[in-house]
Amino acid sequence: MRRVAVTGIGVVSPLGNSAEQLIANAVAGRSAVRVLEQPWCRRLAAPLAATATFNADEHFDPPRLRMLDRVSQFALVAARDAIDHARLDVGNQDPQRIGVFVGSGMGGSLSNDEGYRTLYQEQSDRIKPFTILTGMTNAAAAWIGTEFHITGPNLTYSTACSSSAVAIGEAWNRLRHGELDVAFAGGAEAPLSFGSLKAWEALHTLATVDAADAATSCKPFSADRSGMVLGEGAAIVVLEEWAHAISRGATIHGELIGYGLVTDVAHITRPSVAGQAAALQAALTAAACIPASIDCINAHATGTLANDAVETAAIKQVFGEHAYHTPISATKAIHGHLLGASGALEFVLCLLSMQRKVLLPTMHLQQPAPDCDLDYVPNCARHDTEVRTILSSSFAFGGTNAVLVARYADPQGFT
Amino acid sequence: MTTLEQLSRILVQHYKIDPTGLDPHAPLQQLGIDSLGMVELLFFIEDEFHVHLPSDAPLLPTLADAVVYIDDLIAKQHPESVTLGAIPAQPKAPPLA
Repeated sequence: MRRVAVTGIGVVSPLGNSAEQLIANAVAGRSAVRVLEQPWCRRLAAPLAATATFNADEHFDPPRLRMLDRVSQFALVAARDAIDHARLDVGNQDPQRIGVFVGSGMGGSLSNDEGYRTLYQEQSDRIKPFTILTGMTNAAAAWIGTEFHITGPNLTYSTACSSSAVAIGEAWNRLRHGELDVAFAGGAEAPLSFGSLKAWEALHTLATVDAADAATSCKPFSADRSGMVLGEGAAIVVLEEWAHAISRGATIHGELIGYGLVTDVAHITRPSVAGQAAALQAALTAAACIPASIDCINAHATGTLANDAVETAAIKQVFGEHAYHTPISATKAIHGHLLGASGALEFVLCLLSMQRKVLLPTMHLQQPAPDCDLDYVPNCARHDTEVRTILSSSFAFGGTNAVLVARYADPQGFT
Repeated sequence: MTTLEQLSRILVQHYKIDPTGLDPHAPLQQLGIDSLGMVELLFFIEDEFHVHLPSDAPLLPTLADAVVYIDDLIAKQHPESVTLGAIPAQPKAPPLA
């Protein structure tokens, strides 16, 4: 089976639009969660979100921009940056040996929301002609393929919160089996419309506003956690067959060594210990790892009452005694839940934390819940830590649970 | 305001196109408006000129083509406005080659 290297990283995120900004803010535990100020926010119980600072005009000319929902803008910019970072001359590659794999839970939801407003609120029939084009779930992937003339598979995965972990894992499988040499894989999400925020609120999944400091409202594993905070952004990685990467002298930022995919069928939304544990075990098996060889877990850790206790129990079930000695990071506390883009963003954070030899903190964790009793690296990063193998979990409404395993690669050390 | 000026206003407002030196005979493709972009431009034209375009509206390669087409539509759909002079019937664009 062929090995798969990560040779490029591109991000647009609440914690910054470069790998350097992202990891610096994650290490410092700087939260991007804030109170939204749009007029419709007064109709939200908790108008919180982690927003990306992003000026689309800097990246697209006006006629092109008119065809791009925010989610596609994020995806395209992240893909461009990843390809630049990989120093990959796409024009010199066989375009049919490259694939595009993008996860998105809600696709062009902002465009759809705007269309509904025109039709139903304004009672106008003047819905924009590009509403289908901008709203379709596969638009982000399609634009990446179109811009770079990639004629291999162009696939969109929509498995709610695990979408981009699935996209990366499925790309890995094709690279491993020799179907492709290169894949642009990751996810994008731009869910911060009134409609989607209100819908998430109606499901009773969103955090309440922390009265003392709104930025600390998302509190994974904490006794006083109250839910998740939505975020927006994109993360795309260039995955490359190992020998292909070496032969062109690429810098290798990490190796993707495992992907576990198991469906939790216990309930449409409520996670089960068995469903999460099965995905963790599947990833370990795929990576040929035992629990003792995992140095850190980037947990799914949404900050909801349901997830964090179940996830803790699932880790204990699979890791046994090692669960207590395995540091766990929950970064959604500061970048929010990017839904379909979360898995990819957290996978990138795993790679960067290994490179920087740092364990990322779980912020806003003053008092862990009684049933959350593992080492969550509370509130402060741990530096000078050898992190060689790291596991990143993404669990989803609908039950498609995906876990990725990444291994450190010395950028200088390969021949 | 002439039809061409009104069209130019659409391009400035929605496509951030510099109106100075806008050549009515240049292909709209050069402004980044391809056949798909034309679908949206026709939508704006309907709003701006209060005309209804048939579902099989033609592609208009240049601004000059668009001016002729719009004036024809206005003449058919709003003949009163032409005689009243609310919208000039004669385009200020140079004649088509």
